[in-house]
Amino acid sequence: MKKFIYIAICLLSNLVVAQNNEVFTNANSLYNEGKYQEAIQSYESILNNGVHSSELYFNLANAYYKSNQIAPSIYYYEKAKQLSPYDKDINNNLSFAKNMTIDVIDNIPETGFSRMIKSITNTFNFDTWAVFSVAFVFLFVLLSLAYYFSYSTTKKRLFFISSFIVLSFAIITLFLAFQKEAYNKNDNPAIVFAQESNVKNEPNLRSGTAFVLHEGTKVEILETYNKNWTKIKIANGKTGWIANNDIKPIKDF
Amino acid sequence: MKLNFYIIVFLITSFASAQVTFEAKVSKKKLGINERLRIDFVMNKDGDNFNPPSFENFTVVGGPSQSINNSWINGVKSFSKTYSYFLAPKKRGKFTIGQSTIEIEGEIYKTLPISIQVTAAVDKPKNPNDPNYIASQNIHLVAEISKTNPYLNEAITVVYKLYISPNTGVETWREIDNPRYSDFWSQNINMKELKLVNSTYKGEDYRYVILRKTVLYPQKTGKLNIEPLSLDVKVQVPTNRRDIFGGRLMKSVHRTVAAGNRTIHVKPLPEKGKPIDFTGAVGEFNFKVTTNKRELNATEAFQAKIQVSGKGNLKLFKLPKLKLPSSLEVYEPEHSENVSTNLNGMQGSISDTYTIVPSTQGKYPFPSVSFSYFDLKTKSYKTVASNEFIVNVTGNPLNGNISNNKNPLTNNKQLIEPSKNQFLSFKTKTNFVPIKTTHFFKSKLFWILLLFPFFIIPIAIVIKRKRDKREGDVMGNKIRKANRLARKYLGEAKKTLGHKEAFYNALERALHNYLKSKLNIETSEFSKDKIQQLLKEKQVSNLTVTEFNDLLKSCELARYSPFSNVEMQQDYDKASKVISAIDKQMR
Repeated sequence: MKKFIYIAICLLSNLVVAQNNEVFTNANSLYNEGKYQEAIQSYESILNNGVHSSELYFNLANAYYKSNQIAPSIYYYEKAKQLSPYDKDINNNLSFAKNMTIDVIDNIPETGFSRMIKSITNTFNFDTWAVFSVAFVFLFVLLSLAYYFSYSTTKKRLFFISSFIVLSFAIITLFLAFQKEAYNKNDNPAIVFAQESNVKNEPNLRSGTAFVLHEGTKVEILETYNKNWTKIKIANGKTGWIANNDIKPIKDF
Repeated sequence: MKLNFYIIVFLITSFASAQVTFEAKVSKKKLGINERLRIDFVMNKDGDNFNPPSFENFTVVGGPSQSINNSWINGVKSFSKTYSYFLAPKKRGKFTIGQSTIEIEGEIYKTLPISIQVTAAVDKPKNPNDPNYIASQNIHLVAEISKTNPYLNEAITVVYKLYISPNTGVETWREIDNPRYSDFWSQNINMKELKLVNSTYKGEDYRYVILRKTVLYPQKTGKLNIEPLSLDVKVQVPTNRRDIFGGRLMKSVHRTVAAGNRTIHVKPLPEKGKPIDFTGAVGEFNFKVTTNKRELNATEAFQAKIQVSGKGNLKLFKLPKLKLPSSLEVYEPEHSENVSTNLNGMQGSISDTYTIVPSTQGKYPFPSVSFSYFDLKTKSYKTVASNEFIVNVTGNPLNGNISNNKNPLTNNKQLIEPSKNQFLSFKTKTNFVPIKTTHFFKSKLFWILLLFPFFIIPIAIVIKRKRDKREGDVMGNKIRKANRLARKYLGEAKKTLGHKEAFYNALERALHNYLKSKLNIETSEFSKDKIQQLLKEKQVSNLTVTEFNDLLKSCELARYSPFSNVEMQQDYDKASKVISAIDKQMR
């Protein structure tokens, strides 16, 4: 009975996957014929099925770019980037889409050490770091047992040192996993969807305008207030409050 | 007779020459109480019984004096007879000089009554024969303003008119003081020629000349002062002297005239509904953004023009800035104005032309630009937005071709460059993963896997301690080993239970092995006596020793005699009993 259920689930999921793939190919051919709006609808129907992939986001963003919609285009390129951060194609086309934006914001260069830590942390996802740390813990236990059970001094010494090295690795990877998770939690990018949006000094309409952002600019969400206002930070370090409707967070999955 | 004829002819011609007129003329209608007035009663035909009005409120200081004027001009005779009085007013007020009558050829003619205003004493009684005085009375400079309460930045015009009375003339003029329109943007409209126009000034016949027209755009709200324009005019004034032909001699006089100070009240533009991007444009405008190219290659330049045309303060506001994608190289805009100014204000167009060079290919959107102005007709703000459009930059810049031309052979070959600076098309293959993923990190499994190995270490240590302890007592180890061996051999025997030979072989081997390990003897030393002796030394009871020997004996016997299954079972039980008994008793 149990076996039957497994097989059924397997078949069913295969069916769904096959369906999505079919929709994907159809959407691609629509894209190729230049029917971008229809292609966009097809791609989005796949997203509604609860699955995604960086290629899907990439194609969707391309379709939006071709139909001159800046903000959704950049939005989906960024989503694709979230799934595969080192894809050259995505970065290439994203730079095209960014050409269409109006705002220029200078990045604040980070200092050497924090940048190094950040780049190391960002090499893997926190799940991968977690797997690493578990593996290192196992290795440490094996090595320490080997130390305990071995008789010759040289062996004992070797096992002792290596076990401690491995333990420190385990601790480091665990720390990196936590760090990466914290980064992910703090890293809440969003794209400005409004054509022009006034960023206010305070979360109300009365207060003065700190700066003006245009469609397609990437901002960092810091906090939200009252469901209508979001505190954001732009790449040059300036902060301000923007209306919730004007932006769309990239990480809503 | 001849004389009579002349008289008749004279009478007839005079009849035909003109109608009879009889009128009163005053030198001025308004005078100070310390001034004098002259009144003339003029008729063009001689009459009798002249009856002057009663000058009730005046005293007659001179007159009546009579003068008769006869002239022949081109065969036409004109005649006039004048009775003159000089009057001085008795008090202030408005008086009427009544009618005078005269009888001409049997009919009675009357003059119209004249009203005279007598004001307070004038400081310096004006000498009516002073040329300066006459000039001042006959030359006037007037500033006419089209609207005295305009909006901020609404065009108003100031027209300067020089009024000249018919009996004076103007030779030249010179501007002494030009008004500085300090709170206005101003532009003079050049007068190509001066035209003399007949008109009236305060009810009297005058001629005027438009000297200057100025268009003003107020730049401040509130009460603004327009400074007067002052002119030095050289005026020709008639004098009392006459030349030999009877014509009046004119005298030239310099006279300074000024248009009085004028104040206008400028209204601010309404705050209500003022658009954010309002930069002060007031009038009626059209607005558009155009480019000269929509499709071009990278590094080619193109121009975008932002233009406002129409009527209003065109030079006085800033054009909205073009918002462009930051990746475009944009040069400072070139401002051009094509504005003409007339009495209605400024008309024409102003434009900013941006030169733009895209360095990379791609699509560049030109977002909608909005322009707001205040419409004076509807008195409301209006916003015009330009259309959005996209400039498509295609193709790579034409570089490297020149170097290729050096070698004609390679020219035919198309170099396929790596996909740099090229928009990449869709991807065909993909692997879908569920959007909702469960994370391994911080899951239960993760914590178990992370912490469980650490518990293995103490467990392993405890196990090892126990093993060491066992290894520590050698005898105990041996016992355990023997037990194990005995059990092992007995187990073998148990398996072969029922097969007589195999069973007893196994049983004997088990017993021997057991003793070997227990008594530390070798197989060569195996004899019953030796075994007995050794067992006894180890303080094993005699009974057990004999049972052991019996077992060995039965093993030997079994090879040559038949044994039943029951006996085999008995022997097996006995063997295990003996082994455990020896184990217990042995020290």
